[in-house]
Amino acid sequence: MINLENISFDHCIKCTVCTAYCPVARVTHLYPGPKQSGPDTERLRIKNPNLLDESLKYCNNCKRCEIACPSDVKIADIIQNAKWKYSPKKFRLRDMLLSHTDLTGRIATFAGPVFNFFTRLFPVKRLLDFFLNISSKKTLPEYARGTFHHWFNSCRSTQEDYDTRVVYFHGCYVNYNDHELGKDVLCVLNAMNIGVTLTNEKCCGVPLIANSFLSKARRNAAYNIKSLEKSIGGTNRKVVVSSSSCTFALKHEYPNLLEMDTSTISSHIEYITSYICKQFLQKNIPDMKPLNLTAAYHSPCHLERMGGVIYSVEVLKRIPGLELKLLHSECCGISGTYGFKKEFEQIAQDIGNDLFRQIKSLQPDIVITDCETCKWQIEMNTPYEVLHPVSVIARALSGNKFDLTV
Amino acid sequence: MNVDCIIIGGGISGLTCGIRCAENGLSCAIISAGMNALHFSSGSIDLLGFHPGKNIVFSPFDELNDFIHSHPRHPYSKYGRNVIEMALSYFGDQVNLKGLELFSNKQNNHFHVTSLGTLKPSFLSQKSVFNQHIMEAFQNNPGIAIINMEGFRDFYPEVVASNLKKNSLFNRCKIVTGSIQLPDSMTGLKNNCNLRSIDISRIFDMGSHIDEIADQIKKIAGNSKIAGIPAFLGIYNSGNILSRLCDLTGLFIYEIPTLPPSILGMRLDNALKSRFADLGGVYIAGDRVKKGYIKNNRVDYIITQNNPDTHLTGTFYVLATGSFFSGGMISESESIKEPVFDLIVEYTKNRKTWYSHDFFHPAGHPFFNFGVNTNDQLNPFDNSGKTIKNLYCSGAILSHYDPVTEGTGGGVAVSSGYYAADRILNHS
Ligand SMILES: Cc1cc2nc3c(=O)[nH]c(=O)nc-3n(C[C@H](O)[C@H](O)[C@H](O)COP(=O)(O)OP(=O)(O)OC[C@H]3O[C@@H](n4cnc5c(N)ncnc54)[C@H](O)[C@@H]3O)c2cc1C
Ligand code: SF4
Ligand code: SF4
Repeated sequence: MINLENISFDHCIKCTVCTAYCPVARVTHLYPGPKQSGPDTERLRIKNPNLLDESLKYCNNCKRCEIACPSDVKIADIIQNAKWKYSPKKFRLRDMLLSHTDLTGRIATFAGPVFNFFTRLFPVKRLLDFFLNISSKKTLPEYARGTFHHWFNSCRSTQEDYDTRVVYFHGCYVNYNDHELGKDVLCVLNAMNIGVTLTNEKCCGVPLIANSFLSKARRNAAYNIKSLEKSIGGTNRKVVVSSSSCTFALKHEYPNLLEMDTSTISSHIEYITSYICKQFLQKNIPDMKPLNLTAAYHSPCHLERMGGVIYSVEVLKRIPGLELKLLHSECCGISGTYGFKKEFEQIAQDIGNDLFRQIKSLQPDIVITDCETCKWQIEMNTPYEVLHPVSVIARALSGNKFDLTV
Repeated sequence: MNVDCIIIGGGISGLTCGIRCAENGLSCAIISAGMNALHFSSGSIDLLGFHPGKNIVFSPFDELNDFIHSHPRHPYSKYGRNVIEMALSYFGDQVNLKGLELFSNKQNNHFHVTSLGTLKPSFLSQKSVFNQHIMEAFQNNPGIAIINMEGFRDFYPEVVASNLKKNSLFNRCKIVTGSIQLPDSMTGLKNNCNLRSIDISRIFDMGSHIDEIADQIKKIAGNSKIAGIPAFLGIYNSGNILSRLCDLTGLFIYEIPTLPPSILGMRLDNALKSRFADLGGVYIAGDRVKKGYIKNNRVDYIITQNNPDTHLTGTFYVLATGSFFSGGMISESESIKEPVFDLIVEYTKNRKTWYSHDFFHPAGHPFFNFGVNTNDQLNPFDNSGKTIKNLYCSGAILSHYDPVTEGTGGGVAVSSGYYAADRILNHS
């Protein structure tokens, strides 16, 4: 029986506009592009799953095809679903390690600096390359010591003094890799007289979806939805998220791709710059000192897909002494775990090259982007420091209470 | 979110309006759902191509005053010939700033060849489609070669050649056809029969195989003067590639529009978007404006599909959401709606009168004329008949014009976008 609910492919008018904007199809002949891999072959796959072809794995789920499609076909969702539904289930240790960020994170933060030391050694990189097919040209992200969640306990009590409080969904990256960003979020919100509470969270599921662990992604989603419902507790409290991809998962991938009911939390969830922007518009603007910096701003694919770029840009424009140059919208290539895999490494590099060239020709003081994996990719390929918009505000704040300013 | 001007729909009309507003210092955001009609167009801008009954118009500017007189409700009649002239020249200048040159046959129309080998009148075209030198070459009964790329199934040179032959302008020309092949290093890369215009255009954009391709073109062309090839000479690097190919072959290389995606249209799209960004405009792609709220005859705020909880506000709003094809209007079984503001749409009540039974009827189809009616300032009317003062409509969403039968599509889109900006600048 054909599932008549999932027929968005039927709206396809075969115009090939999606393929014209697919970054993967742009750089490799190995991928036939979203039109063919999505709506074209979906109608065959639902009749006969054996018609699945290997090339689906090249899709990096950037969603640029969906942005381009004039007929609202959920092309990338069709492809992710097909990868999961029809591909033979092969267990790959590497995909499991890269995508189970909670597990890897907990182990790595336990050992913190030791883990970082080893993963930066060339022989270790070669071993990872050889045994796990993790590209030796890439440096695995650095892990922090301990978790952000744990650190937060030390200042939990200070947060209870604020009348307005938001729930902060920090995501794996802040929890395991970059506590500084989490602290910046706290500083900035506190400077605007807003307190923060945390919630019990599991990995939002973005890397799980990309690596076809859809059942695990659904379990995490169910956990997060329940936990957020509890933290919201029937109030109108907002949930702010500092990772653009986590926001995308909570707001879009949960209901659309994973088919979870998010009606109780969806209207509460806000990407951090969208929340801050609205506060700014209500004249709740913290004191900022001029930065005297030139910055190039890169808009991550998932932030574009959810229409969030406008808020980041608006917030950044209000930082005194920040000369902002908007980069032409392009995928950086890394797409979460994609660019770390040996078989996609060259593709990821080729996709990003235009962006790196643009950045280098602008010669900014810093690069700004909302996504942690874009940050890794740009830092690996250009000589510039890459900051989250909130960290840039934190730098502009005078009298930073966690003493994080440069 | 608050900007001076929110433009809903980023096609040629919304972009022209946005560029003009941004250039005059207004903060502008364009919100656009999917890619616009340029991706499906010839990439040439039609101004006024046909008299009623399909007779071709040769000099549109000479005819415009009469046309306006006989079409009082046409968008052109709202702002007149001078505005149209200024708008087109402004449009050409803006695109030119991004390195894409547009040419017109002075104040007259020119023809371009379609992928079926028929001729269509248009007003502004890219260099590979029209310029004075090509026109002079065509006037001397030159030998013409129509050349495809092997494996590209959206183009049939023999069809183009045989239809051209039937045309009195070409029946004294020697026309040959043939196919070039992908450069050696590229063959086998992609399943050849899956090549679309965009795949070949990417190979050209790399700029690395031009010599090899030029050699092949020369061999097929023999002693022809003009080589017509499908429009796939790259998007970002096309000017350079075209002049290299012309130099290497000694031929006029002529581009023929293909099935979508239209590379000629995408060049225009790219130039316009990049000009808008240079001027500080923000282009939000992939989000649909779900609803606009009106209070005291003014748009109060709008919400989008992705952020339904956020009110976006601007001092001015422009609705440039295109026609049925782009979702600017939606047809239901017995009615036609404008989905964002529920504006009054002009259409005939009985569905049977919406279309002509003959697909190629010379008078076209009535539904082409359906659309949103506005006053002379391009302000539309809400469903109780009141004008909405801070909202302007431009482009294919407007009523009382038929882009296909009149050959006025691009001209209306450009001039009404330009004029909407004019009205906004006048008020701000
Ligand atoms: C297939 C086709 C081919 C054509 N070829 C030619 C040609 O060769 N030459 C010529 O002169 N004219 C041509 N035309 C006429 C054409 O209509 C105009 O030239 C012009 O492109 C119309 O531009 P526009 O900006 O008004 O609308 P469009 O280009 O249609 O753009 C409207 C945009 O608004 C977006 N949108 C719609 N609803 C919403 C919403 N609710 N929220 C946000 N965004 C929304 C759409 O996604 C789209 O991107 C063609 C038209 C079509 C349909
Ligand atoms: S852009 Fe949309 S309609 Fe066009 S081919 Fe792709 S999926 Fe189909
Ligand atoms: S999601 Fe990105 S990589 Fe995948 S098909 Fe769409 S555009 Fe291509």
